[in-house]
Amino acid sequence: MTLPGSYESGPVASQTVAAAHDVAAEATAVPARRRASLRQWELFFLLLPMLLLIVLIFDLPILNAAYWSISDPKTGALTLGHFRDFLDSTAYLRIIWRTFFLSLEVTAATILLGYPLAYWATKLPPRWRIVVLGLVVTTFWVSILVRTYAWIVILGSAGLINRLLMWAGVVSRPIEFLYNEFGILVGMTNVLLPFLVLPLFAAMMRVDMRLLQVAETLGASRFRIFWQVFFPLTLPTLAASAILVFILSLGFYITPAVLGGGRVPLVANMMDLLINRFARWETAAVVSVVLMVVTLSLYAVYQWLREKNA
Amino acid sequence: MTARRFLSDLSLTVCGLAVLVFLLLPVLVVAPMSFSDAKSLEFPPPGFSLRWYQSLFGSDIWVEAGINSLVLATISSTIALVCGTLAAYVLTRGAFRGRRLLEANFMAPMIVPAIITAVAHYIAFARLGILGTFHGLVLGHTILAVPYVVLIMQAAIRGFDIRIEQVAATLGASRLTILARVVLPNLWPSAAAAWIFAFVLSFDEVVVTLFISGAHLTIPKRMFAELIIQVNPTITAVATLLIAFNLLALAVLLLVSRRGRLFERGY
Repeated sequence: MTLPGSYESGPVASQTVAAAHDVAAEATAVPARRRASLRQWELFFLLLPMLLLIVLIFDLPILNAAYWSISDPKTGALTLGHFRDFLDSTAYLRIIWRTFFLSLEVTAATILLGYPLAYWATKLPPRWRIVVLGLVVTTFWVSILVRTYAWIVILGSAGLINRLLMWAGVVSRPIEFLYNEFGILVGMTNVLLPFLVLPLFAAMMRVDMRLLQVAETLGASRFRIFWQVFFPLTLPTLAASAILVFILSLGFYITPAVLGGGRVPLVANMMDLLINRFARWETAAVVSVVLMVVTLSLYAVYQWLREKNA
Repeated sequence: MTARRFLSDLSLTVCGLAVLVFLLLPVLVVAPMSFSDAKSLEFPPPGFSLRWYQSLFGSDIWVEAGINSLVLATISSTIALVCGTLAAYVLTRGAFRGRRLLEANFMAPMIVPAIITAVAHYIAFARLGILGTFHGLVLGHTILAVPYVVLIMQAAIRGFDIRIEQVAATLGASRLTILARVVLPNLWPSAAAAWIFAFVLSFDEVVVTLFISGAHLTIPKRMFAELIIQVNPTITAVATLLIAFNLLALAVLLLVSRRGRLFERGY
């Protein structure tokens, strides 16, 4: 995730610091204990608004949904019936598998496209590197809805690609790129690409160039240097970012709904139907719990990979 | 040898450029389309006109959606900024048991897929009787934006020299005075960046909005509905304005958080 850099204290502030440093070191020792207890109170007071917000508007609703997945909506008695119904239904499982495979395809596509882009960016002169990264960050800032919508213009039957193909005489009738899995794949890959490119670029810049020089001195070919030295060094970040892309794909709602035209139901769209059309809250809750467990487990792996690499 | 090297460099450049074009294509295509005079989505447009902008601003529904989106994003990003900044200060400067757990909890809305939050909000808000109300919508958007505020402000506070606060404490200032008179005045560029970030997040939010907004319209919600039903070129005008708006926000964000810093570090 791209974030604005932290604010550094200006020259005035650092002068103040230099002048007062000794005083501060001397004074912190004196009434430490009395002030510490007061400080805890003040800290709690400052934390209170956020705590109330997160507990009431996030934690409790999530726990409530989890409770819905294991309780009878009429009597309130605990039951595993909703999970059993869910597992017995081939329709639900088919949608889960389709989402799983499509997410794998999206992840593979972002790796295949994102790795060369990040690698190319590291090879550019610094000025151009900033331009390329700036463009990647820019797409990040454009609404997902807009980026998804644009593919209707590009891939639609009167769109850019079909007109080009027909003009060139490759096809006589427009190809149906949209409202199928291909359209969703293109749209999701486009939206999720920056999530892979930006961390990967940072990892590539961190690779110690001397290692590559050593390999070159020892007579390794460029091909070998890349695959046996460079690539393995970027692999942990590649894996972590790929997991992130996979997690984000699993819960994707907008792009499949728009580019799939309702013909390719995925998990998120199924949850929409369960809530807004069929009012099957308990089944939607079951799907939420399953998706949540999968997401959080993968996120744990992602964090582990990142910390290992840091 | 050099010929092979040249070829491999060339192929890398071609691949890199091609992927970059693929990434940028949606943004590049939408803007010209919005000035098209054709009723269908032809690209390149056969002629130029402003008719889709006229139909956009002449439509009460779109104007209402626009006002709603602005009000909603302003309120929710402001609440998120206040709660998130205070929490970020405590997380960065406080030392107490369970700090990491608390931090993970504050980050959770960013990690949990929006669709899960949407379902959870739908069920909970329905039972509380705030489903479909504007207040409920504000709370939903605040929750989605607040982790980013915490993240940005934590980085900012970490970069602020703790000795300045110690000096203030030595001179007898209370925690609240330190925060209000020493820390926050120095961190306003980061706070502005965090607010803009939260604002744009709320302004573009679709998924949770679709579930909990009831009859309230927002720009993304209206746009999503139109995309599902039929493709109307008015949308290209909306999309172009959204791109312009988001890029403007990005520009302001870069200006306040010192030029260029975003690209040099932080990923």
